[in-house]
Amino acid sequence: MSYSAGKTLPYRLELYRQLKRKRTAFAYAFVLSLPILVAIAVKFGPSGNSGGPTQLGSGTTDLIGLATIGAANFTVTMLYFATPFLLVTVIALFNGDTVASEASWSTLRYLLASPVPRTRLLIQKIKVSLTLSAVAVLLVPVSAWIVGTIAFGTKPLQTPLGATFDNSVALSRIGIMTGYLAISLLFVAGLAFYLSVRTDAPLGAVGVAVGTSILLSILDAITALGKIRDWLPVHYAFSWFDALSTTIDWSVMIRGASYCAITGIILYALAINRFAHKDITS
Amino acid sequence: MKLNRLLVAFGLFFVGLLPISAQAQSVTEKSITTAPGVSIDTSMFLPSKTPAPAILIAHGFGGSKDSVATEAKFFASKGYVVLTWTARGFGESTGEIAMNAMDAEVSDTKELISYLAKSRFVTQDKTGDPRVGIMGGSYGGANALMSASADQRMDAVIADITWSSLQNNLFPQSVVGATESGPFKKVWAGTFFSAVTLQKAYLGECGSFVQVWCDAYQNAVINGAPSAQERALMASVSPQNFVSAITAPTLLSQGQADSLFPLTESYRTAQVIKKANPELPLSMIWHAGGHDGGTDQSEFLRAQYLSWFKKYLSDQEIKFPAFQFTKTNGSISLQDSTVIPKIFSSDQLPIEATEQQLALITPTVAAVYPIGGIPSAISSLPGIGSAGALASRVISSFGDFSPAFLPGQSGLLESAPLTQPISIVGTSSIKVRITSTTGDATLFFSLVTKSPSGAISQPNGVVAPVRLTNIPQAGVDVTVELPSVIIDASVGDVIAVGISTTDQGYELPKLSRFYTVSALTPLTYQNVIASATGSATANVLWPIGTLVTLIAAFIYVRLRRPKIAASQEESTALVEVQNLGKVYKDGYRAVADLSFTVERGQVVGLLGPNGAGKTTTLRMVMGLIFPTEGSIFMDGKAVYPGSPALSNLGSFVEGPGFLPHLSGRENLSLYWNAIGRDGDQYLDEVVAITKLGTALDKKVRSYSQGMRQRLAIAQAMLGMPDLLVLDEPTNGLDPQQIAEMRDVLKDYAGTGRTVIISSHLLAEVQQTCSHVVLMHRGQLIAFGPMKKILTRNRKSRTLEEIFLELIGDDLVIGKEKK
Repeated sequence: MSYSAGKTLPYRLELYRQLKRKRTAFAYAFVLSLPILVAIAVKFGPSGNSGGPTQLGSGTTDLIGLATIGAANFTVTMLYFATPFLLVTVIALFNGDTVASEASWSTLRYLLASPVPRTRLLIQKIKVSLTLSAVAVLLVPVSAWIVGTIAFGTKPLQTPLGATFDNSVALSRIGIMTGYLAISLLFVAGLAFYLSVRTDAPLGAVGVAVGTSILLSILDAITALGKIRDWLPVHYAFSWFDALSTTIDWSVMIRGASYCAITGIILYALAINRFAHKDITS
Repeated sequence: MKLNRLLVAFGLFFVGLLPISAQAQSVTEKSITTAPGVSIDTSMFLPSKTPAPAILIAHGFGGSKDSVATEAKFFASKGYVVLTWTARGFGESTGEIAMNAMDAEVSDTKELISYLAKSRFVTQDKTGDPRVGIMGGSYGGANALMSASADQRMDAVIADITWSSLQNNLFPQSVVGATESGPFKKVWAGTFFSAVTLQKAYLGECGSFVQVWCDAYQNAVINGAPSAQERALMASVSPQNFVSAITAPTLLSQGQADSLFPLTESYRTAQVIKKANPELPLSMIWHAGGHDGGTDQSEFLRAQYLSWFKKYLSDQEIKFPAFQFTKTNGSISLQDSTVIPKIFSSDQLPIEATEQQLALITPTVAAVYPIGGIPSAISSLPGIGSAGALASRVISSFGDFSPAFLPGQSGLLESAPLTQPISIVGTSSIKVRITSTTGDATLFFSLVTKSPSGAISQPNGVVAPVRLTNIPQAGVDVTVELPSVIIDASVGDVIAVGISTTDQGYELPKLSRFYTVSALTPLTYQNVIASATGSATANVLWPIGTLVTLIAAFIYVRLRRPKIAASQEESTALVEVQNLGKVYKDGYRAVADLSFTVERGQVVGLLGPNGAGKTTTLRMVMGLIFPTEGSIFMDGKAVYPGSPALSNLGSFVEGPGFLPHLSGRENLSLYWNAIGRDGDQYLDEVVAITKLGTALDKKVRSYSQGMRQRLAIAQAMLGMPDLLVLDEPTNGLDPQQIAEMRDVLKDYAGTGRTVIISSHLLAEVQQTCSHVVLMHRGQLIAFGPMKKILTRNRKSRTLEEIFLELIGDDLVIGKEKK
């Protein structure tokens, strides 16, 4: 019987273990339901002033008001809807529940004693959680584009600033936004994972991560805090909006993505260190 | 009052709401007589350390020294002596308003400099020449430029949102080389004039204006065009005629949201200064504010102004970009839809920008002028902002209607839809042929963008008026200078020259006529090479920082790995526990000085009451808990978390652990895969032990406690490890199952493998184990073969009795061992 640490808890196995869970399916259904529900609400809801489809937002100068123009606008609006809470919750779930749920099922001690080296266990968990998270982020624009095409057709992307992009440019812009969004969620992911390692209560880790994110968002809304807000990772949650301007100014997105990645990496490193020295009593 | 609004909009001056005497800073109010009958009301703000360089802060039209008190306090707190004053004709100052005439307001400023030259608080360059800078916005900005032109003692100048040529703002003419004056900008002029005549009480039709200006205004309103005398009057207060004499480093700031003094004004002033003195430090800022409001950037501007003074009054080494400008089309806040200004900087002044050309495909625009100019297009509303921006907010209800371009009265000379994005920063021009059915023409040109959806955007509602007379039948060819703008157009957009025959802000002809305007040349436009401020290095540093963090994280995690004890090659026992101890973080000592060895083929019972430290010991053997003292060796190799030695160990501790959403069989096979070992898993044998039958394919969630327990013991046996560690394996099993379990374990040990069982049921262990480790309160009280222990005391016959005897009466709960 040969043992090799590198063979323990293979990526595909851990992915399978997580995919078989109902919460994974629920989380994805949750994400998928957003564009569908919004499209139905707009199509069949009470009609707006002009007698046409329900008007979202207040006009053509805000993103939401432009949502029903076509698939591209619908997709950008869905990204906007999903950014503050939906994706934060789903990403917190995937990353916050992964270790803590093993602890709560008592499977963690058997995996570690088998032995799956502790750092390897976490690295494999991180890889799988990030895969699931990336799919969730990607699911928003993909599903929104499909739903938007069915409900509103494909029309050029119109920005609240008056610019218009044809579909190929719009797709590349949405790609940039989605990529940025994925990276900017690394802070929440890292925080949830760190908490997951610290507690044996999965919902505790998820809840605290989401709660922290909301708290920081509230602080970010207090303009009196001035420059301090630049150091809140959630300050950059919506910086993907810069990809809507005619010539993209990358500076804030680069700063935001880097800062969120840095805080995420630090939290992951703290989690691994913490776990390496932890007495497993679960 | 509208002009107070303006002052706020300047982005430079906030109205000082608090009386100055309430401030902690040292402020001296003094009335200075600068000319017969003219006494100027001044305030001097002192910094904490004197002598220091001085800054003169001039206020805007209709304001007073109190309007700039906030700025004054700011610069005083930064270490400058600040002198503010109320211009003649305003507030507490006496005298009449002469629009910054050389012998009036400018002379006042010179007197103030002389006053500073005598002050012991102000750094002196030489006798009579203080170290002094001047700043001001609008009316105050013109004073700054005129005073610096007239007084060589000035060491630094900052002029914001001010005029270069007054005629070109009151009677703007955008035809290059034209001698006719343009149409009278009546709404703005009236706003200005009434601000003086309607200050507090009605002060007569001239208010506090000097008579020549009062007459000039009335003549302009009546005639719509200036006389030669009035042209000379306006020229006498136009900085463009004087700034060639400036010797002080000059910062020209101008706002985009400004239909009164548009960007072109700072462009013209800069051209004159640069031509006269190419070596003079000259910088420009085109911010997002202005007389129409726009976006407040006062914080940014204040920082820039401070840098300018630090550089040229305090001789600090500061790199100041030649040109900084704000784009407001980059980003808007999703929270409140406000524009988030983006600041760009360039080493190139806009007057040095390269010219590019763009072909226009519309050959001719034809437009009607209605009699009396009614209705009129609305490009901007003085002091309120661009009507175009207002219109874009209601586009959905008006279709493609823009109030700046009324149907029939306007047209666009359009480019083809762009195939690549274009940025325009600076001026643009086009040569056109204009025909008119009346032989004269008043037209309003602008540079606009049109999106594929048809929405027209006219940047900040700024137009370039054109007034021509004596136009021949065939038309006249003229070059029109279009407004300076900052535009980003994307692919698919159209850039166009907008032409309107009416504009409600201007004096218009009386009679109806018909115009045609034909493009003779492509559009010539300017752009500067610029980058977002501060981003050039930050854009590289941030990703590098991320990479460094990643590497640092790897190093940190590696360096902080738990230390691994050396192996003990001489140890032949399967498990050797040496002086093992565990104190938890809360100070609770679970195990102390525990030593025992387990040889192959033994069934060892780890016995003791609840809380004896059995589970803690087993968890340490499994590498789950870090011992605080001593060490554990398996086959001579140290045991630590993830140690390969553990691959020879199967375990069951404190209850089963399975994925509840999977079946028992799946759990076993996943576990086997997860532990990543090749070789025979002995699945069938192990499954037989569980006696689960068909339940094996049901979800673990549905199992009873006993079923889970048997499945867990099967999992521990997967692959038939050399050492099986079982913690309370019989908990939850019925007597028959306990008996079966006993046989299973005996069989397991019979194959030469080793089993460690912990239990608090001493009687049961007595029947199963070959060796015993007796624990109490974390300490070893007996260790050896079962038989030896049982025969140790002849009086006792059961393990239980022996145990009770060994620990005496210490088992009584609550009684502490001495």
